[in-house]
Amino acid sequence: MEQTATETPQNTFSCQLCGLSTSFTYYGQKPPNTRAIVLLEECFVTKDPFSPDKEKFLVLGSTCSLCGKCVCVGPDCSLFYTKRFCVPCVNRHLDQFPQQVRAELAKKSQSSQPGVTQLT
Amino acid sequence: MDQIFFREQDYIQAGSSEHREFWAFFDRFQRFKAKRDMSGSGARDEVKERKRTGHEKVDLGLPREYDARYRINVSVCTGDVEQRMGKADPTRRQRSSGPGPQEVSDCRLALLHFLDFSQKQSFGKLAKLRREQNNLPIFQYRDRIVELVRLHPVVVVAGDTGCGKSTQVPQYLLSAGFTHIACTQPRRIACISLAKRVSFESLNQYGSKVGYQIRFETSRTAATKLLFLTEGLLLRQIQQDKNLDQYEVVIVDEVHERHLHCDFLLGVLRSLLADRPGLRLILMSATINIKLFSEYFHSAPVLQVPGRLFPIQVIYQPIPPEEQPSRSEKLDPRPYLRILQGIDQRYPPEERGDLLLFLSGVAEIGTIQEACQVYATHTRRWIVLPLHSTLSLAQQDKVFDVAPLAVRKCIISTNIAETSVTIDGVRFVVDSGKVKEMSFDPKAKMQRLQEFWISRASSEQRKGRAGRTGPGVCYRLYSESDYNAFAPYPVPEIHRVALDSLVLQMKSMDLGDPLSFVFIDPPPTSSIQTAVTYLKEQGALDSRGELTSIGRLLSQLPVDVVIGKMLVLGSLFNLVEPVLTVAAALSVQSPFLRSSQHNPDCSTARQPLHSNQGDPFTLLNTFNAWVEVKRERGGGSRKWCRRRGLEEQRLYEMVNLRRQFKELLRSHGLLESEDRAPSGGDRLQRRERFTERKKLHQLKRHHEQQEGTKRKVLRMDEGQDGELSSGSDTEGRGRKGKKRQEEDVDIQEVKFKLRHNVSELQEAVSASQDLSSRHQALLKLLLCRGLYPQLALPDEHNSNRKDSEQVFHTRNKQGVVIHPTSVFASDPEVLHVPEDDVRETGPDRRDSSRHQLLAFVTLLETNKPYLSNCVRVPALQALLLVANSVDTNADCTRLVVDGWLELEVKEPEEALRVLSTALSLRCEWERLLKVQLGQSSLGEASGQGVSRRDMEKLSEGLVRFLLYTEVSYSLQRLTAFQTQNLYVGPQSEPDSSYAEVPDLSPLFPGAEAKPDPIKGGLRVSGFFTYNCLADSKDLYSECLRTFWSCPNCELYMPLTPLERMHHEASCRPAGERQEAEKESGDGKPGSSSMSSLTRVYHCDVCNEDLKLTSTEILKHKRQHMFAAK
Repeated sequence: MEQTATETPQNTFSCQLCGLSTSFTYYGQKPPNTRAIVLLEECFVTKDPFSPDKEKFLVLGSTCSLCGKCVCVGPDCSLFYTKRFCVPCVNRHLDQFPQQVRAELAKKSQSSQPGVTQLT
Repeated sequence: MDQIFFREQDYIQAGSSEHREFWAFFDRFQRFKAKRDMSGSGARDEVKERKRTGHEKVDLGLPREYDARYRINVSVCTGDVEQRMGKADPTRRQRSSGPGPQEVSDCRLALLHFLDFSQKQSFGKLAKLRREQNNLPIFQYRDRIVELVRLHPVVVVAGDTGCGKSTQVPQYLLSAGFTHIACTQPRRIACISLAKRVSFESLNQYGSKVGYQIRFETSRTAATKLLFLTEGLLLRQIQQDKNLDQYEVVIVDEVHERHLHCDFLLGVLRSLLADRPGLRLILMSATINIKLFSEYFHSAPVLQVPGRLFPIQVIYQPIPPEEQPSRSEKLDPRPYLRILQGIDQRYPPEERGDLLLFLSGVAEIGTIQEACQVYATHTRRWIVLPLHSTLSLAQQDKVFDVAPLAVRKCIISTNIAETSVTIDGVRFVVDSGKVKEMSFDPKAKMQRLQEFWISRASSEQRKGRAGRTGPGVCYRLYSESDYNAFAPYPVPEIHRVALDSLVLQMKSMDLGDPLSFVFIDPPPTSSIQTAVTYLKEQGALDSRGELTSIGRLLSQLPVDVVIGKMLVLGSLFNLVEPVLTVAAALSVQSPFLRSSQHNPDCSTARQPLHSNQGDPFTLLNTFNAWVEVKRERGGGSRKWCRRRGLEEQRLYEMVNLRRQFKELLRSHGLLESEDRAPSGGDRLQRRERFTERKKLHQLKRHHEQQEGTKRKVLRMDEGQDGELSSGSDTEGRGRKGKKRQEEDVDIQEVKFKLRHNVSELQEAVSASQDLSSRHQALLKLLLCRGLYPQLALPDEHNSNRKDSEQVFHTRNKQGVVIHPTSVFASDPEVLHVPEDDVRETGPDRRDSSRHQLLAFVTLLETNKPYLSNCVRVPALQALLLVANSVDTNADCTRLVVDGWLELEVKEPEEALRVLSTALSLRCEWERLLKVQLGQSSLGEASGQGVSRRDMEKLSEGLVRFLLYTEVSYSLQRLTAFQTQNLYVGPQSEPDSSYAEVPDLSPLFPGAEAKPDPIKGGLRVSGFFTYNCLADSKDLYSECLRTFWSCPNCELYMPLTPLERMHHEASCRPAGERQEAEKESGDGKPGSSSMSSLTRVYHCDVCNEDLKLTSTEILKHKRQHMFAAK
């Protein structure tokens, strides 16, 4: 891990929505050392920095299946429902998503309201 | 099930902690599913609804029916394993306990959710971290900082508390591609905590990209790109690696604190920049005096970053005159209590927020703590906690615990909480405006701890402590006009302390004349000159101010010059082990807790450790006993220490320091390297040690992961133990307190065991246990020579005074007392001259052979000038062996040492004998030391060093001299008048008595006896001037000839004192002479040893060149004399 990181220091993943940026070590569906686990989308993956285990990975984000934007997996930026959708795309096609997803988004936008005022 | 999903090669393995977490998750998940199934789901209806209303612009191809499974972007392929298992092990399937297909799919589903859950958890952490980083005030300057560093060799980043400079700037540089970054900190603890925080923030918590290095600990590896280290350590690295090629960027943090090392480091880096154009230097400071730093580095660009503090209300509440403490009285607690009351009235207890009170010193803290505690017990709304550096670490740590609901912490602290210790959750600050600061008095050679008003900068810093976590209030116990009259900045350390070590280090770094070095704020010239003189006195610099070989060595040792000297001296004799321990003990804070001193149980338990030889011996006993306990009981040492009121942390520091000293001595060739195979070489033992170490490492890692997540809730009666109710500390602590200590035991013990081999240590230490009286005497002499000129003379009337009123005098300071912690404070009689030994020989003269002196480590004036860490030594013997200047009268019965101590020996015969013995011992000691040091400077351990026999003979001689010299003499200080007219002064015309100067070269090789140009008399060696004292009874030394018979040869004739000493130096006892002859063996027996003593003598009477020994010359001259008569 250490070595691949030093060899390619330019591998930076950056979310086009929230700006979160951090280096990644793998892009694809089958991160190294994950054995039986397969990702269902092409993802930017890094070693899980919060685990002492060297082989634990962390998915940072992927591209939106509609607009192709590079987005992080944070619930404010994208969601996965058989495919990756960025939140703006989900909102644009909200009607095609099941009620559960819609309810979840509605709840989130409500709760994030006071958070915004706090920031300003 | 484990065999399907959690095999050894799988992502999650059976038996791992994650595996356990999964099964816990599994149970929860199943319960959740069952509950949801019961309540039923309306998913199907919703989907139909969507179909009706949808416009179908783009078909996203989403499944019609919602399933939580679709939200997960992970899949687990275990089909092959399931199949294989089904085929290969059919019996298993039939068993009822084997997993059926339903169970397998349940488990698979749960596993997916588990993976998804842990991904979300980790990503959440990452996102939160990034959010916090981006919210720091400094984040906006990120690109600007990197750009400035790229463009300029030196950049100053100034930002106040909370702007994030210490954690972020190194990271910005890392991600900008800089790879060899050093970041210095004034405090060790900050190095560790910053390295931890930054490695976490830069997502390298489990790697070694970010590391720290402090005196005994490092996490640095080859992969480390960013290193946090102390200022002192970086200086040491420059000492080794002049160009500092190992770093590309050096960040010096907290430069505004102006520590001695920091100021010096800046000066060194400033001159280094000229030789290393590629080096990048970043100074980080609070927004204090920024111009000074910028201008020092040729107007380096400054980037100023706003801090992040909440608003703080300042209330000036000057103490009314009737409550002002007078000089001798205790502090009046009323102004402080009023503030506590005011807070209770004004702020509801549910509103959290603690109080931090700044006082100047430990005594003041005690007074106010006592008063506040009464108030706190009464109101039950406060927990009072003291905070200062002499508290045990466990007690210090309590300030970070949380108070129960509706109760506030009242932390009463020295200025330690101003910068070194940061406590979150403080809302109220009370600032007394006072600080006790160390200063150095070069005239009295004394440190002084005095109370001062603080500076405006400190005042603001204290205020800022109230606004870290929310808006706060700062009460200033002085007026606004006082504030305006404060100095703008604190006095930098370089202006306040002795500069001995600094000057020594400068010399060893070839920085030229210390007086012309460009400091950011040059120290007073006199301060540097005092240091140079001191170093010359200590033999570290020669008369031209160049490093001597011992000086070079001392500059490598990270300790005070006196302690370094002890180490070097100890390496010569067979006393390395005890000297190592004593040197280490004197370099750390005392392990004896002050608070336990008045606890009768502790004192009783400590009693067996005490040595009335002196405090270093008590420390030695303590350390040895502790190692013994460690070996026998391991972790039980904690309890052992608690019972004796010892801070075990100090003992751990000692053991580490001791080892560092040993390694240093070894690397300088002063100590033979142990050639033993590691740990005895037994294979089984080695393996055992290896597995033990592995286990210990695991324990340590485990502890590190747990650390920081365990802040305890304080009990109401916390803070009442310790100083106030003495003794409750030992056993009667609550269960909680005890438990925490048990946890601590583990990690300290683990670290100790990782670093040291207990049985090896025990072996080494047992060498210094039960020292024989001979060894003890020698060790005392070594300490005394190390500590010289730090000597104190007991006042002659001490035996008539109370124990608490014993007075001592040093050369430069009269009327000092012994610190109450010293063993001599409780047992001063051992310093008195025993009555039965005294012979009153005059009104002011008390002759005895038992006069003693104290050698001391520190002289510190607080309310009185105190001596601490003292050791007693026999006066005459010690002075003759260590003093830099010994002057005598013509018959050597009056000796003046270093121009302040006068010794009068009754019997001229005895005086001569003593002096002569001392001179030859000293000469031999010097010779062996030179050999030893010369050998180390050559770096060849194999060369012919000090022979064991020479060393043993010398130590035998020294011990005999120290223990069995029975000479009666008086000892007193010279009066001012006496000092003025001390010397005869230079003689204008050559006195007839000096016409026949005997050649003294065999006695003092390399030194020629010649008239002393200032004192007069005859300068016989570097330290000994004969017959220069003004009151000499008779200047005609010729008349002082007395008949004397040499115990070694048959010589019997009248000799002058000098002639006699001369003869004694060359005439060896018969036994020894024979040995020497035997040794020289081949060819001419005897002649070689004799020839070394003979020299060419030209006799004017015979007009002939004769080859004679010095005694023969004397005899020869006598012949002519008698013939003439």
